[in-house]
Amino acid sequence: MNLNDYQTEFNKLIAQQSFSSDSHPQRNNTFSKFLDSGIPTKKWEAWRHTDLSFLNKNNFRVSRPDDSQVDSIDISNYKIANTYTIIIINGYFIEGSSVLPKELKVSTYTDKNNWNPKNKKENPFELLNASLSDSNIAIVIEPNASIEKPIHILFLCTGKDNLMINPQITMDISRSSSATIIEQYVSDTSSFFQNTSVFASIEKNASLNHIRIHSNSDETANISGLHVTQSDDSNYNYFQLVDGGALQRSDIYTDLEGKNATCSLSGLTLLDKKQHSATYITSDHIMPQCESSQNFKSVLNGHSSGVFNGRTIVREDSQKTNSKQSNKNLLLSDQAIMNSNPQLEIYADDVKCAHGSTTGALDNEALFYMQSRGINRKDSISLLIRGFVSELINDIKSEDLKNHLFTRFDRWLLNNNQ
Amino acid sequence: MLEIKNLHVEVEGKQILNGIDLDVKSGEMHAIMGLNGSGKSTLSNAITGRENYNVTKGDIVYKNDSIIEMEPDQRALAGIFMSFQYPTVIPGVNNTYFLRAAVNAKRKYNGQKEYDAASFLKFVKSKLKEVDMDSKYLKRAVNEGFSGGEKKRNEMLQLLCLEPELAIMDETDSGLDIDALKIISRGINNYKDKNRSFLVITHYQRLLKYIEPDVVHVLIDGKIIKSGGKELALELEEKGYGWLEQ
Repeated sequence: MNLNDYQTEFNKLIAQQSFSSDSHPQRNNTFSKFLDSGIPTKKWEAWRHTDLSFLNKNNFRVSRPDDSQVDSIDISNYKIANTYTIIIINGYFIEGSSVLPKELKVSTYTDKNNWNPKNKKENPFELLNASLSDSNIAIVIEPNASIEKPIHILFLCTGKDNLMINPQITMDISRSSSATIIEQYVSDTSSFFQNTSVFASIEKNASLNHIRIHSNSDETANISGLHVTQSDDSNYNYFQLVDGGALQRSDIYTDLEGKNATCSLSGLTLLDKKQHSATYITSDHIMPQCESSQNFKSVLNGHSSGVFNGRTIVREDSQKTNSKQSNKNLLLSDQAIMNSNPQLEIYADDVKCAHGSTTGALDNEALFYMQSRGINRKDSISLLIRGFVSELINDIKSEDLKNHLFTRFDRWLLNNNQ
Repeated sequence: MLEIKNLHVEVEGKQILNGIDLDVKSGEMHAIMGLNGSGKSTLSNAITGRENYNVTKGDIVYKNDSIIEMEPDQRALAGIFMSFQYPTVIPGVNNTYFLRAAVNAKRKYNGQKEYDAASFLKFVKSKLKEVDMDSKYLKRAVNEGFSGGEKKRNEMLQLLCLEPELAIMDETDSGLDIDALKIISRGINNYKDKNRSFLVITHYQRLLKYIEPDVVHVLIDGKIIKSGGKELALELEEKGYGWLEQ
């Protein structure tokens, strides 16, 4: 897909009239910026290791309201027990959970959220998302509310046409409130381009657990931008599971704008065949006394490739910062490739920062040890891989979600340890 | 039980064992003594089937069958156990979970019903007492954060749970303090019976104060150059290995 193709799709979307024409000037303006910047190439430093050929060689069209009229996909397969569920099919809001607590407000198609000046647009895909955004969801948690049940936003893609979906989610976690939000992207065997932007604002003393699951088909490109801003004493926990898609790229920006805030980012990537997944993180310590951590693991099989690029910035006034970065990768095949690049930029002098990265094959010593106790090689390999990933999944607080993630992991393992 | 015939073993192209003959009968305890580099650990690794320990000549026969073509797990299920000189740390794999997987593999092999989590915990707790181990070690990852002595006790715990017929103790005494040494020796002495054999590999005579081998072999340059009773170990303690090398 080249810039002309994007222009054609943009024109179609504007002509559709399903979105308020009030937003057209801003959409036009943003789209021109996208055209000016163009699609990233490997010559761009931040895209050097990301292979966008899947996007460039396939064509996608914007979705139409009638694309949501599908019955081929069984939603019950993807539901997670004990959650409030919001379902978006092919870019259109379908079904809200029947009863939402009054402290939680969910609105869809809130065009105005698109143009929130606070919403940063760091790269061409975010400009593209803002120009083409279709399924928009705004979640507002009232002050002092504590929502126990996770809110599950399920993006389903299905059908024969190559669709391009541009969801935008804004999460406003008001002062002293807490919630768990799950974003899940699933699709059947068809080809899709999902380009998502998420903006989370975590206000004073508020807490958000945020889980993202990318489980699309092998013919899907998933590009997502995530911007988090945190106020004083706030807490943000993020976990992502990537076990689907041909191409997956996450750009995560967390701005610690308040004192004494905690930001913990973690993720597990499970790849095989020719899948590619890249996670780029910028944790910015703008204010003092904050804590941040990045803990990412990948298991790569087949000809898959991955990137971890974690950057932590500690600004001059951000004394007493405590930050950790860890990236560990397990290569199950000789053809798999991982690029790991943890980076620290420290401008303050009274801080505690650590980073580390390891990439390697399965430990033969450990395999022999297990086999010498009577456990066969296949089971030993499973135990080792499970041991490698379980630390991350075990940290998830909700039992139902933990089970869901372990089920996904077990399914992956079954296909990748035969 | 174990018959080793003219065993030659090569590791990464280097010949380490040059024709070992050994006959360990049921209920016997044999000690293999020798200096570093004499081939002691190569012998135990060859018996348990570690990768890259290639038998170039000779045979290892266990319960009347040659085992040199068998996978390490098949040898273990047949009843061979090795207490590692340097037990492997396996991050992320829970010690109880691992031990239950091993015990259940053995039970399945024997046609017995596998343990569920609760019944296994009961089973393993009874064994913990025998090696003076705190149950907190069950909750950790395999050997992670264990001291040298704790690792060796964990090996002993695995031995007691898996109930092998041939136990190879590879340098079990190295790095142990006297209390741990006593606990391990007590474990070995309690476990030994007429159907269970031990092959104790050691550098020093220290361990042999607490356990009594039936036969002592001296290994030098990949060959057993002398065999005898317990008194041979005492003689080695006094005179060193030099007098045997001529």
